[in-house]
This record gives sequence, structure tokens and C-alpha cells, in this order.
Amino acid sequence: MSYVVSFILAIVSYMVIDNVILSRYFGICSFIGVGNKVKSAVGMGLAVTFVTMMAALVCWPIYTFILVPANMGYMDTIVFILVIASLVQMVGFFIKKKSISLYKTLGIYLPLITTNCAVLGVVQNNTAYDFGRSMANALGTSLGFVLVIFLFACIRVRLEGANLPKAFKGVPIALIVAGIMAIVFMGLGGIIDLGSWGLI
Amino acid sequence: MPQTGYIIIAIAIIVALVILFTVSFVVYIKTPAPKGCERGKGPNCENCEVASCRFYADAERRAAKKLEEESSKKGNE
Repeated sequence: MSYVVSFILAIVSYMVIDNVILSRYFGICSFIGVGNKVKSAVGMGLAVTFVTMMAALVCWPIYTFILVPANMGYMDTIVFILVIASLVQMVGFFIKKKSISLYKTLGIYLPLITTNCAVLGVVQNNTAYDFGRSMANALGTSLGFVLVIFLFACIRVRLEGANLPKAFKGVPIALIVAGIMAIVFMGLGGIIDLGSWGLI
Repeated sequence: MPQTGYIIIAIAIIVALVILFTVSFVVYIKTPAPKGCERGKGPNCENCEVASCRFYADAERRAAKKLEEESSKKGNE
């Protein structure tokens, strides 16, 4: 099987089937907190995509070429947290300095990503993969995050005008919507047989 | 390598990363935001374009209250 097909299937599977929010329950705080306006949801999604890719690019070599040879694989979590936090600050600094348009889109959300467990989750999972698959995981997971938070924001915007019982308004209905979305995404589980493609 | 060596390397890695984070955090905080993007709580919120932010709404409310107070003061005079 060609490596490209495997790579694309891995991206699709991480994006839709093994979705970071609805299957793995990472990044729920930003999903609920920011997913009430479409514009802010897309901004947050783009910022998460950017930081996840950068973090995966930086953390995989650190783990493989520094921590594992030095017999310090047990330090992965603390090292990844510090690397992600530093990376976010540095990216924020460069965006502030160099790109006003990017700062307007991502600037508000960048500091929030330091505490987004979706990024840490991706980087942690990548320790078990080779470089290509870890990149597919990072890309697929972040695209899945964007997709779900965008759909969720679209639904929540429509729900703002809906005639709901008082007890359901706000976060309760958001959680119900998230649950229904999780069931819908669960139905996509059999699309790709990951085992036959060598992805499990 | 003896066990002590591994412990020293582990501590050195953590210290280096903490220093890296501190430096990048300070640099990020000290860098001024581009023109037109200045944000902040309180009076600076008037410059902000993100109307969905709760600080923005607070600032709007405060500005309206201030205006009301000023107009009532003028009325008393």
C-alpha cells in the first residue's frame, strides 16, 4: 500500500472516527467556552491547528532523540508541557511582531492554548508513533477539532434564538448538543477498517 | 552512566525548559500589541474589536454609566 494513501487515511480517521473532542474527550473546556460564536470558534480552531502542528514537530524529535536515548522517557509529560507553553509564547511573540492580520485572527486565543489538553494529548500519543504517523495524527486531530468546534458553534448560534425551557438555556443545551454530536460521530466508526490498512 | 548522572541530566533539562519558558513569557508580555489591536481590561477595552468578550460588555456598561452620571451632574448644576 502506498504511504500517501496510508497517510491520508490516518488523517481522516483521526479527524472523523477518532475525533479528539467527541471520542477522546480532550479540549472540552475550549469547546464549550469558545464554541458559542462561529468567528471565535474558527479562530480558536486555527490557533489550535497551528500550535498542535508546531508542538508535534518539536516534541517528537525531543522525545525520540533526547529523552529516550538518555533513558528519561518518564519525563515526557513535564517536558512536553514546558515545550508547548514556551512554544505558544514564542509563536505569540513572533505573531505580535510580524503579522498584524494573524495577530487579529489568532492573538486572543494563543495564550489559551497553553492549557488546551488536546495539544498535550496529541503530543503524548505521538511518542508511540513514527514521524510520519505523528504528523498525520497532529494534522488529523487538529482538523477534527476545527470541524467539530465549527459545527458546534453553528448549532449554538441557531439555538440562541430557539424557544427553550429556561433550565436548558446556555451550557445545559450545549452539553446535550455535544452528546448528540458524539453519537453521530460514533456512527462513522466503521468507515475505514484501520486494522486492514495497518493503522492500528 | 551512573544513576546520579541521569538525575542531573533530568534536572538540567527541566531547569533549561523553565528558563526558556520564563524568557519567552517575559518577551511575549513586554512586546507591545500591534497598533489597533491593543487590548486590556477596563478603559482600554474601548479599543477592542472583540464584542463577544465579557470585558468589552463591561466596558460598554461602564462608559454608559459614566455618561449618565456626567449628564445628571450637569443637570444638577
